[in-house]
Amino acid sequence: MHIHNYEKIWLVLAMIMIVGFLTTVTYGATAVGIEMISDEEDTIDPGALDEDPRFAEPRVEQVGENEYEAYVVAQQYIFSPDPIEVPANSTVTFYVTSPDVIHGFQVAGTNANTMVIPGEVAKLTVETEEPGEHGIVCNEYCGSGHHVMEGKLIIHPEDEFEMEDDE
Amino acid sequence: MSSAIESGEPTFLDRFPQEAKVVRSALWSSFIALTLGALFGIIQTLHRTDVLRVFSSGNYYTILTAHGVLMVVSFTIFFLVGIYTWAVVRSLDRPVEDIRYTWTWYGLMVLGTLMALVAILGGFIDSIDISADVLFTFYAPLQAHPLFYGGLAIFLIGTWLAGADWFRSWYAWKQENPGERIPLQTFMVLITMLMWYIASIGITIAVVIFLLPWSLGIIDQVNPLLTRTLFWFWGHPVVYFWLMPAYLLWYTVLPKVSGGRLFSDPLARVVFVLFLLLSTPVGIHHQYLDPGIADGFKFIALTNTMFLLLPSLLTAFTVVASMEHGARQRGGTGLLGWLRALPWANPAFTGMALAGLMFAAGGFSGMINAGLNINYLVHNTLWVPGHFHLTVGTAVALTFMAATYWLWPQLTNKPIFSRPIALAQVILWFVGMALMSNAMHVAGLIGIPRRTAEPQYDGFDFIPTFGSIAELDLQLVVGGTLLTLSAILFVSNLVLSISLPKVSGLGQPLPPALSGPDDAPKVLDNLKLWTAIALVLVILAYTLPLASIVDRGGLFGPGGTPYPTMIEFGSTLLEIYTPLTTDWISGWLQ
Amino acid sequence: MSGDAVVTEIDHDEFNPRGTLALILVYFAILVVMWVFMYFVEFLGNDLTVIG
Ligand code: HEM
Ligand SMILES: [Cu+2]
Ligand SMILES: [Cu+2]
Repeated sequence: MHIHNYEKIWLVLAMIMIVGFLTTVTYGATAVGIEMISDEEDTIDPGALDEDPRFAEPRVEQVGENEYEAYVVAQQYIFSPDPIEVPANSTVTFYVTSPDVIHGFQVAGTNANTMVIPGEVAKLTVETEEPGEHGIVCNEYCGSGHHVMEGKLIIHPEDEFEMEDDE
Repeated sequence: MSSAIESGEPTFLDRFPQEAKVVRSALWSSFIALTLGALFGIIQTLHRTDVLRVFSSGNYYTILTAHGVLMVVSFTIFFLVGIYTWAVVRSLDRPVEDIRYTWTWYGLMVLGTLMALVAILGGFIDSIDISADVLFTFYAPLQAHPLFYGGLAIFLIGTWLAGADWFRSWYAWKQENPGERIPLQTFMVLITMLMWYIASIGITIAVVIFLLPWSLGIIDQVNPLLTRTLFWFWGHPVVYFWLMPAYLLWYTVLPKVSGGRLFSDPLARVVFVLFLLLSTPVGIHHQYLDPGIADGFKFIALTNTMFLLLPSLLTAFTVVASMEHGARQRGGTGLLGWLRALPWANPAFTGMALAGLMFAAGGFSGMINAGLNINYLVHNTLWVPGHFHLTVGTAVALTFMAATYWLWPQLTNKPIFSRPIALAQVILWFVGMALMSNAMHVAGLIGIPRRTAEPQYDGFDFIPTFGSIAELDLQLVVGGTLLTLSAILFVSNLVLSISLPKVSGLGQPLPPALSGPDDAPKVLDNLKLWTAIALVLVILAYTLPLASIVDRGGLFGPGGTPYPTMIEFGSTLLEIYTPLTTDWISGWLQ
Repeated sequence: MSGDAVVTEIDHDEFNPRGTLALILVYFAILVVMWVFMYFVEFLGNDLTVIG
């Protein structure tokens, strides 16, 4: 089998490119620290979210000096809590699950994006920067009202942010 | 090869009239699906952009399901079985073993399609209890009527039997031609089908063990992550099921219409073998953002996927080189000046060449999709339909249409009604898709979701990085309109060809490759070896993820809520089957 | 058919696909530049850095 020299050149370049892509992605995963949604969280009974300490009452909780956790339920066709309120320049971990069908959860136009699968809890940690408001969309079809499923993420300036105590 | 033999050759129809009829029927089925699909496509385009909303937004998803299923299951796969039947019969130069068998699998495919279509279109009629508003991915717990899953199963069985038909022809041929290399086209067909059989394991388990019994009420819940993973086990290789017939045409027909010969037969074989090996153990790249699958498995999918780029990158070289060969034989000169010597007035050539160009662009957005963490940026945004309208929606679809202009006369002994219209048609598709897909990519990057009837929200606006949402919408609408027009021109041109008188001498023999099969190592034709390696790779890639999913959530849960439930139909059957099957299932689980 | 106006026959050994090599090198350059742009500007430069 004789392969033309030019084709060999291309084969080598293609391999270099593939390795280059893999290197970039690995750089993002390690040096930048972007982790993938994974299987760290245990499964959950989608029929009994109201008995779960995190999801019975969807909310944002402060868990460290600059660290917050948001327990979010995505269901036909609302997100709760809505809005999700957190301070700027903090670390926020979203835990998102669904009692009914598969949904999506994306803070519109940002990298905060995950699938929401009944029985599983998606865990996603982000760093907030500037104060501002972002839309949240369900980006997976979830039934005839899918297009009305939206929410809001409000990032408050640090000095104006206060956790209201749930009574 | 001399140009004298080009005319006066008997056509495929002259030589194999019965097979030509099957091929024509399969292609007609394909084009009917394309027409309906295009109709739904334009309705979606106008609805999403709020230009015109003829249906309610709830019905949008019925339409989208129909568009997805008609385009990527019916249009593409009917075309595949047509072109593959042609390719096997032509390249082995022998009729099928039993034409009744051939009609049987075609009939099953038609039956399956009709069943699924009835279930889907039932979604328009509220008063009946039939619907399948589940999109072409049918992720549970979204539930479709059993007719939908049943139709899909029957359709698949049809394709498996079609594959068996081609294997049978090859086997018979081999007995009469011991020791000969498998002709290139037949080789491509057989490799594609081996990939297809392996891929089908996933969807068969998903449909037959879980979804169909669940829609019948025999089991009351499924594990959504499991059925989803099984879907993508099949769902990625199906991408190559669409592409491989297009590759077959690029490798064997495009060089001919360029006036040249295939650059390298051995490399074409290598490319197909790589597809067989790598197209299944990558499905998890559709699940980069799924909770419940460890990131390590996602990384493995990433690596396999990146290497799967290789056969396509090699194809780009070989195919362009074959075109250059044609152009130079036609007197083309210069480093790039030969491009002008290509037969741009021939719609078959221009269509395939433009399809290839679009594939180069679609290849790039695919690399982004495949890039593990960068998937956060684009996952489930309009970027993704932007990507696959370039690949399956153009590289494949436009190649199929262009090749039809070349092949159709040989199946009917009638010329195409109008070549200028044909030429305009392929160019219109290219321009329309450039606009539509560009708008989709850009919209995706600012976060506009796919699969959404009204991507206009109450609480916030999407912020375009440049231009405006109105401009993007305009691009989408103009692009979609040109595409629909193009699809109509294509089908009308064929319909009008029916009325033309029959002529003779439309045969177009295919020239041998520059570097022929004798240069290819014998081992390339060892189908058993490649199948075995492919199976090993699939087992390596999928055993652990599947085991982990079942271990976490169980085979049949945690469920979620079926939506909507197919109550009536289910409950009647439930009464009949439940005692039987619960015994069976619990026995089987022990 | 216009596809068949062969002027000269060229066989495998005397054919060097120079034009193809040139085109494919251009494609390679585009891919690399676009990848870098998409990854480092569009993705890493986007809001809400995902860290876990
Ligand atoms: C007349 C030409 C076409 C038009 C106007 C068109 C338009 C569209 C639009 C606007 C969407 C996005 C809908 C949404 O996500 O909300 C879409 C989705 C889709 N299109 Fe097309 N399209 C056309 C041709 C094709 C072709 C030729 C194929 C494949 C062979 C195709 C396959 C698909 C698929 C698979 C989807 C995704 C369905 C889903 O998300 O479930 N389309 N199309
Ligand atoms: Cu939704
Ligand atoms: Cu894929």
